[in-house]
Amino acid sequence: MDVAEIIAHHILDHNWGLSLGGFSLPITTHSVTLLAVSLFLLSTLAWISHARTSRAGRLLTTLAEEYITFIRDSLVLPNMGTEGRGFLPYFCTLFLFILFTNLAGMIPEMKTATSNISVTAALALCSGGVILYSGLRYHGVIGFLKGFVPSGTPVWLVPLIFPLEVISTVIKVCVLAIRLFANMLSGHMVLLCLLLIIFIVGKMHIAAGVGALVPAMGLEIFMTCLELLVAFLQAYVFTLLTAIFAGSVIHTH
Amino acid sequence: MEDLLKPDYGVMILTICNFLLLVYLLKRFAWDGLIGALEKREQQIADDKRQAQQAREDAEELKKQLDDRLAGLSQEAAKKMAEAVQLGVSQRDQLLADAKEQADRFLAQAKAQIEAEKNQALADVRNEVVQTAMLAAEKIIRQQIDDNTAQQAVQRVLTEIKKK
Repeated sequence: MDVAEIIAHHILDHNWGLSLGGFSLPITTHSVTLLAVSLFLLSTLAWISHARTSRAGRLLTTLAEEYITFIRDSLVLPNMGTEGRGFLPYFCTLFLFILFTNLAGMIPEMKTATSNISVTAALALCSGGVILYSGLRYHGVIGFLKGFVPSGTPVWLVPLIFPLEVISTVIKVCVLAIRLFANMLSGHMVLLCLLLIIFIVGKMHIAAGVGALVPAMGLEIFMTCLELLVAFLQAYVFTLLTAIFAGSVIHTH
Repeated sequence: MEDLLKPDYGVMILTICNFLLLVYLLKRFAWDGLIGALEKREQQIADDKRQAQQAREDAEELKKQLDDRLAGLSQEAAKKMAEAVQLGVSQRDQLLADAKEQADRFLAQAKAQIEAEKNQALADVRNEVVQTAMLAAEKIIRQQIDDNTAQQAVQRVLTEIKKK
């Protein structure tokens, strides 16, 4: 087994091989991780929203309200305006879902589902749906399509600008998926590579392997801290960009 | 490694369903309650703030009215004070004039009384001198005394006059 195979084994999703009536079910490590994160978020937040009687409950409720205020006042309202209020539950869920999915990879025996392009593409598709829905809801089909052509564009340029703008919007959604996927994947690959350095060097000579242990572990700890930061940062970026794109179709130029 | 970029449509669909269901369930069981409570409290705070602002504006208006009233009262008090001082000055002048008039009257009365008493005393002295001269003349005549004796008698009369 070479290094690439080891890395692929640790990063790639694994199908559990379950099937129903001859149809292979997409029950994989990543999908189970997503389900676990969803159940955790659902049970925790549902409990928090009704736990105002105890002191801990009130504290958690206050924290949850601070979180909602942050998402609303820092991400949604500045980018989408008051029209974004209706989308607040979506953005609150999106941020926490991505964050906890990113952080799940830090827990032993769990994997970072956001390092799977299928997962990030699915999230980007949901965000694309929200962007599309925002445009259609506030401008209608014709108004939404008109929004792809900046005002003041000469008529002869419209056939050129329109497809470019449509492609630009599609690319923005695709880039959401790729950015999250690439950031989470690269972090885990670096962590794995740092660990593998010890074994590769140790295979050459046992003393060299022991010597590489301390710097490799130091870098490993540093990268883990960086991964924690990246987990928050990528959740924030994904949510922020979704709000910006949705705001751009609501408040067209 | 090429599998990294190979999409798994099953996982993709499952993720979409999972996420959208989570959005719906969290909205239903968590966010609606939390956002509702948050907005209700924010509305309450905004109302309280507005009421406090209104109360402050009312208090400032009242203070302005009281200040204006106080300024009016101060002006009126100053006017009354000036009037009182004027009245006091006029009363003082009146009292002084009355006192002076009374004093002059008393002085004139005293002078007149003194003059009268002086005239009375002079009249009394004159009568006394006349009587004494008459007595002396009577004695001279009765005794028919010589010059020497007469002179002595006159001298004696004059001495008596001096004594009186």
